[in-house]
Amino acid sequence: MPVVELAGVTKAYENKVAVSNLSFSIDAGQMFGLLGPNGAGKTSSIRMMLGITMPDSGRVSLFGKPFERGSLERVGYLPEERGLYKKMKVLEQLVFFGELHGLAAEVARSRATVWAKRMEIDEVLAKKTEELSKGMQQKIQFISSVLHDPGLIIMDEPFSGLDPVNAVLLERTLLELKDEGKAIVFSTHRMDQVEKLCDSICLIDKGRAVLAGKVRDIKASYERNRVIIEYQGSSEFLSSTEVAEAKNFSGHAEIRLKEHGNAQKLLQEAAAVATIYRFELVEPSLEEIFIKTVGGKANA
Amino acid sequence: MRNFLLVARREYMEQIRGRAFLLTTILLPALFACVIGVGYLSSLGLGSNKHLAVLSNNPVLADLIRQRLTRKKESKTTVDVFAPASIEDRARLLKQVQERSIDGLLEVVSSGQGLPEATYSSPSSGDFITTSRMTGAINDSLVKERLTRSGMPTSDADALIKGITIQTFQVKKDGSVIKSNAVASFYKGYVMAFLLSMTTVVYGLNVARSIIQEKTSRIFEVMLAIAEPEDLLAGKLIGVGAVGLTQILIWVTAAGLMLVTPLAASTLSGDFEVHFSWVEAVLFPVYFVLGYFLYSALFAGLAATCETEQELQMFTPLAAVPVWLSFAMILLIINDSNSVWSVAASLFPPCTPIIMFLRMGSQVPPTWQILLSIVLMLLSIWGVLWLSSRLYRIGILMYGKRATLPEILRWLRYS
Repeated sequence: MPVVELAGVTKAYENKVAVSNLSFSIDAGQMFGLLGPNGAGKTSSIRMMLGITMPDSGRVSLFGKPFERGSLERVGYLPEERGLYKKMKVLEQLVFFGELHGLAAEVARSRATVWAKRMEIDEVLAKKTEELSKGMQQKIQFISSVLHDPGLIIMDEPFSGLDPVNAVLLERTLLELKDEGKAIVFSTHRMDQVEKLCDSICLIDKGRAVLAGKVRDIKASYERNRVIIEYQGSSEFLSSTEVAEAKNFSGHAEIRLKEHGNAQKLLQEAAAVATIYRFELVEPSLEEIFIKTVGGKANA
Repeated sequence: MRNFLLVARREYMEQIRGRAFLLTTILLPALFACVIGVGYLSSLGLGSNKHLAVLSNNPVLADLIRQRLTRKKESKTTVDVFAPASIEDRARLLKQVQERSIDGLLEVVSSGQGLPEATYSSPSSGDFITTSRMTGAINDSLVKERLTRSGMPTSDADALIKGITIQTFQVKKDGSVIKSNAVASFYKGYVMAFLLSMTTVVYGLNVARSIIQEKTSRIFEVMLAIAEPEDLLAGKLIGVGAVGLTQILIWVTAAGLMLVTPLAASTLSGDFEVHFSWVEAVLFPVYFVLGYFLYSALFAGLAATCETEQELQMFTPLAAVPVWLSFAMILLIINDSNSVWSVAASLFPPCTPIIMFLRMGSQVPPTWQILLSIVLMLLSIWGVLWLSSRLYRIGILMYGKRATLPEILRWLRYS
């Protein structure tokens, strides 16, 4: 039974179609990336999953049942921009959000304390939110979205504002939540994180799903057209007719082959003029696939 | 229901702990007391501490004028009489005025049976209060001088000049008669109307500001993923309204405690005796709640269409105009609180809370008018809430720019 399912969902505002006939489903214990350029329809899709707006047609189901507001107590949401009360103290704020999600005040308080320790911010619980850095506020927002132990966690740009150390802490926590069986949806511009964390993705463009499926399968379906060579000797082989683009560093080159370019031929040409220590044919990155799919729009 | 209560409690706690609540709760009555106190003290001191010279060819009249100007109430005034006076005296006194060693020279020249001619010379051209006091003093002294000269005893002349003071009584519906003071009653109504207008508009704008802040900080995005917009709006209105009621309760309790002190008992007696009826005590919070909901619901909807507090300021005349209009009608209401215009204005919902209390300064309006005004206000609140909740539901999710009128109309059609 999918935790969340969108079936043929369409949403239009005035004359603009924000989401058109979108379908995907996410199972428990799955991390799902919702990707797309700005204005593609990601936020509209998330809002429909959360009941903030209703689809014009199609169906949204949560936990195997057609959408009902009661199900939202089992959903956690982390918006892209911090949605916190600046004047409230951190612990009070977390308890308030916990209560809104159906927790008793005492339960929310004790869980907030545990989560604050886990996210390494227990020393700021008595402070006002406005006194904290953007990264700290991001962690508080994250805790408020998981405090009630939701089965579905929806996150929009969860890593924004976090330094590398805290980004790793969040990555680790998300993987733990996934292992606990939570379904996690996240929308992000960071393709490296999607590649590292997500099991499946759905790439939306102009409101339509243009690419969907398991990350592994998607990448495998694309031709391996990138080559990394470590060598000693002449770099003459970089001007081969098989090469579309090359970046040459000291004894290290990153090459993009032409469409249907022959990697074996390139290897022979390189071996003829240089000593090859490493020749690796790598699959395209998700970022490359993304750019290729949405027509070179870089603002994912 | 649970979410609405949680939102209301959060709003209430945040505002009640805020510095603004503490300041307005303490400072507003203190400011009121200061304004009234300063006004009272300055009225006591008006025209006093003057050193005047009275120059006349009629010594009796000059002395009566001196007595009148230095009577108990105005005993701080010093008056030197020169009667009869020479040309040199006049020149010397004018020189003293010029040198500011005296504050003014009053010359009263009698000529037979006609009225005397009076001139006043002083360094200040705008001292109309002293001029007015002297006019009264000369007129009273002249009447007294003529009456006593014609044989009337001084005490009879004094009594005539003092005149009579009309005693006013208010006959209640239950037949009881109480001593009343029209001026004190009017000021009572005025102060209550002023407090009502202040609190309803201020708390209405508080709701609007709070909505804009939450919209700017994107809290709505999180809140709407948990609660319905109607719960958020209702929670905010109830929470902020409860803060207003708390503030009024604190003021009323403080005023009640002050009224039982001996100082208040001695001050608010005689001419300043003010009567509060239970009807006024009940209607004050009732009209606050109704007025607050009308304005806050209106501003909640409008705030949802704005991006910044500056944009909201464009709409503040919607709250200010009914207040100006209500207070502009004061003279009409004092003159006849039951005239068609007074009644009509008091039934116009945006003006009802203020005008009803201005009318109550004279007399409590008929029950049917009070009930009708409440029903009309409830209907208006329902209408405004209907409109505002639609604007609110869509507006809080619209970011980037202030909504235009055609966009607002489209939102209303959508929801």
